[in-house]
Amino acid sequence: MSAEPTGFLYPFIDGDERDANSLLVDLAASAQAKMAESANLRAATLESLADLLRSAAEAMAHRFRHGGRLFTFGNGGSATDAEGTADLFRNPPRGRSLPAMSLVDDRAVLTALANDVGFELVFSRQVIAHARPGDIVMGFSTSGDSVNVLHAFEEATRRGLLTVGLSGYEGGAMANAGVVDHCLVVGSASVHRIQEAQDALVFELWSTVQLCLESVRS
Amino acid sequence: MNERDAPGLADDLAAAALSLARLFAAGATMWCTSPRWPAHGRHVAVEFVHPVIVGKRALPAVNIDCGDVIGAARLLARPGDVILAISAADDDAVGSLLRRSQAWGLTSFWLGAGRRPPTGTADQVIWLDGDDADVAARSGDVVMLYHLLWELTHVVFEHPGLLDAERVCTDDVCITCSDEGRLAEVAVVHEGSSAEVLAAGLRETVDISLVDQVRPGDLVLVHAGVALTVLPEHVA
Repeated sequence: MSAEPTGFLYPFIDGDERDANSLLVDLAASAQAKMAESANLRAATLESLADLLRSAAEAMAHRFRHGGRLFTFGNGGSATDAEGTADLFRNPPRGRSLPAMSLVDDRAVLTALANDVGFELVFSRQVIAHARPGDIVMGFSTSGDSVNVLHAFEEATRRGLLTVGLSGYEGGAMANAGVVDHCLVVGSASVHRIQEAQDALVFELWSTVQLCLESVRS
Repeated sequence: MNERDAPGLADDLAAAALSLARLFAAGATMWCTSPRWPAHGRHVAVEFVHPVIVGKRALPAVNIDCGDVIGAARLLARPGDVILAISAADDDAVGSLLRRSQAWGLTSFWLGAGRRPPTGTADQVIWLDGDDADVAARSGDVVMLYHLLWELTHVVFEHPGLLDAERVCTDDVCITCSDEGRLAEVAVVHEGSSAEVLAAGLRETVDISLVDQVRPGDLVLVHAGVALTVLPEHVA
């Protein structure tokens, strides 16, 4: 666990507190500490995972160069990370647009699968439907243990896809040998700080993929 | 992120969290939108509805994801609700939404990065100053801002005595009782020279003989039952 200033978290027993000023001071101090923690974690994660990130980006660039497509998935906040990642690759702020789609976007498909075969299969069934051997999947889970994400990796591996996983804490099941080709673990126990660092990792990954694609063309 | 900004930004986050917790405590729903980065609106809504920390209360937050965000928000939001936009400052549709939300009786929060929006465009502005809003939106900075807003809002809930603070007018000049005009959105234009408008969430009839060609959706400044000017669609 990271050291957070938690003293102010203890609730006031009575409801008589009326002056918000001391709370505002505490809240601002807490915000500042958390911002520093987030920035430090992102910097430390990018540094410690630099080699892993580089090899994941090279493998992804290789697949994109040969017509591969990227499929992303995750649950809850990680679903929005999957969506944001597909958007980043497809509609980049610079560089070339790459074929990417998230498997959380279509509510008809998601609810049909959840209703008929179970939520643990909502991503793996879509991998079966869409994926070709040269494609890439990228799954997000802050615990590394989301069952539907792990199932999708299993299916993707069986079909010869490149698998990239983003996880937190100590990696969870996603970090076990053979689950994914490239596992990027943010070593934190705060879901929020993990997601912030995962965003930074994805941005760096995207940026490195773009560099790899440029260097081959030139 | 830019370390220089941290103290001012931390103060803004603290003030925003106190305001947001009070509004939720009074029964507000938070309507979220992020047209340029659609995933952020969904992310912030799921944070509030389904807390990541077990035991924290679920709060009503909804992402509005459709072509006509202004029309949907006007229809769905009730006076006393919150509108939270996540965008760059140059998003004119978001600017227009936040400005007219005042006429609907909403409290507006604008969260983003890059060049700051003009002063007064939203009740609470939570902003990371910087060069590139798109990079901040995609590299962990913007998500950090609404994670912190959520975390601090739940800290405020631990202080029940501060949640029901009376709404007092703290401005030097109270706009509801002074000579200043109030912002209103035209709802229906009647034959002759009157129109129904929404101001602070309430419908009222005003005289429009001093302004030209008022249409539904226009923003006007109203004083003493008279529309004085039609406001431009966008603030520069």
